[in-house]
Amino acid sequence: MIEVTDLWKSFGGNHVLKGITLGIPKGTTYVVLGGSGSGKTVLMKHVIGLFKPDRGRVVVNGVEISKLEGKALTDARQVFGMVFQGAALFDSMTVFENVAFPLTEKTWRHRKPPAEIRARVVEKLRVVDLGEEVLDRWPSELSGGMRKRVALARALVSDPQVVLYDEPTTGLDPITTDYVDEMILNAKTKLGITSMVISHDIASAFKVADRLAVLYDGHLAAEGTPEEVRRSTDPFVQRFLSTWFAKQ
Amino acid sequence: MMKKVTAALEDFGRMIIFAVEAAAWAVRPPFRLDQILAQMAFIGVGSSFIVGATGLATGMVFGLQMNYALKQFAAENYVGGSVAFSLARELAPVFTALMVTGRAGSAIATELGTMRVTEQIDAMETMAVNPIQYLVVPRIIACVVMFPVLTMVFNAVGYFGGYVMGVFVARIPVGPFLDHTREFVDPTDIFHGLYKAVVFGVIVSVIATWRGYAASGGAKGVGEGTTRAVVMSSIAVLVADYVITFIAVGT
Repeated sequence: MIEVTDLWKSFGGNHVLKGITLGIPKGTTYVVLGGSGSGKTVLMKHVIGLFKPDRGRVVVNGVEISKLEGKALTDARQVFGMVFQGAALFDSMTVFENVAFPLTEKTWRHRKPPAEIRARVVEKLRVVDLGEEVLDRWPSELSGGMRKRVALARALVSDPQVVLYDEPTTGLDPITTDYVDEMILNAKTKLGITSMVISHDIASAFKVADRLAVLYDGHLAAEGTPEEVRRSTDPFVQRFLSTWFAKQ
Repeated sequence: MMKKVTAALEDFGRMIIFAVEAAAWAVRPPFRLDQILAQMAFIGVGSSFIVGATGLATGMVFGLQMNYALKQFAAENYVGGSVAFSLARELAPVFTALMVTGRAGSAIATELGTMRVTEQIDAMETMAVNPIQYLVVPRIIACVVMFPVLTMVFNAVGYFGGYVMGVFVARIPVGPFLDHTREFVDPTDIFHGLYKAVVFGVIVSVIATWRGYAASGGAKGVGEGTTRAVVMSSIAVLVADYVITFIAVGT
């Protein structure tokens, strides 16, 4: 489904990604773990074509997204939904307008009738446990957890094949974190969605991942199933994981 | 020093590419009339008070100054004509552009800059909606349409201010005041100002949207972007005014 091959990226003299290669099969959840500033978000933004690589390529569904520009890139993004770290809700729009945005902003030919759009919005909000009472509220009136759930509903509303999660549990309380983890698992089991999650939350990562990678100093220090990564002998991986496993 | 020049040139080049992209997206569906109208309301209707107030003050002061100057040659009957001529060709388009830059240009840069640093623009892109088409194109179109309209408001209110000062304060007879206005000013003068207004609309909207769109680095970056948008737009308007005037009237 997603193939990243020998991806290199630098900003000025700062080499952020140094030859990343990974593959995400259809219908699986892939988690990239890493410390702050390790380049996780940069990697994810390459997958959806927000950044262009210096070298290497990203192929999604057989389409080389790293080569596309303009309208071709916009069209190729139809398969994606993305949940941003800070939710990135449009603060000039209500919750309804936010979630409906991917459906209403289509050409007339592809646009659905308003009643159907409303039904879809309500349905997706229900998936994230939010009722119709939030429809007319503004993002500034929502709590952090609610904003993330609205962002997830917005990512799911156009029935994407791939959902990218940028630090989905950062800044959330343990109950909401658990809830978001369940959401990610549900998206896979109930909707068959392929997910890529970037996080530094080790507990969540081991809970939701089919495959895991640990990003360090621009390359993958470990990659494999959660069990394989846990047994990795790489010193950084050992130290990174021990911060959490030692507490258990 | 060399680095700064290179960075400035690179930024300018990227802005030109951005403007060309905006032009290309402007002619592609979907056409977002509701967005364009909302921006026309914000940029045009919302700026009408400040433009009207500036126009009135300018017309009144210019009327008094011209009366003071022309009285020395016993030519105060020409006050109306000189006020209208100066407003139409220079004062209205330039002052309108500067006032709208301060009010709407800064707001555009801040809004887009905030959307950029809070990843709202990235989010829009991931939803297969081109942010240049959705956010930038309506603002450019609204500026291009509303700058000439606001310039006409400035002309009308400014001339009214000059009329009040000339006729009611300086006691210039109404007949000669209006006659010399007709004699001095013809439609080409008005159009000269309106052409300028269109060019200023393009300049201000492209710079303001670009500075917001290219913002980075949190609240500080947004603030810097807004400051640069206002400073760059104002200077660009003044330079463009000179260039257009030089091309149109020569030496």
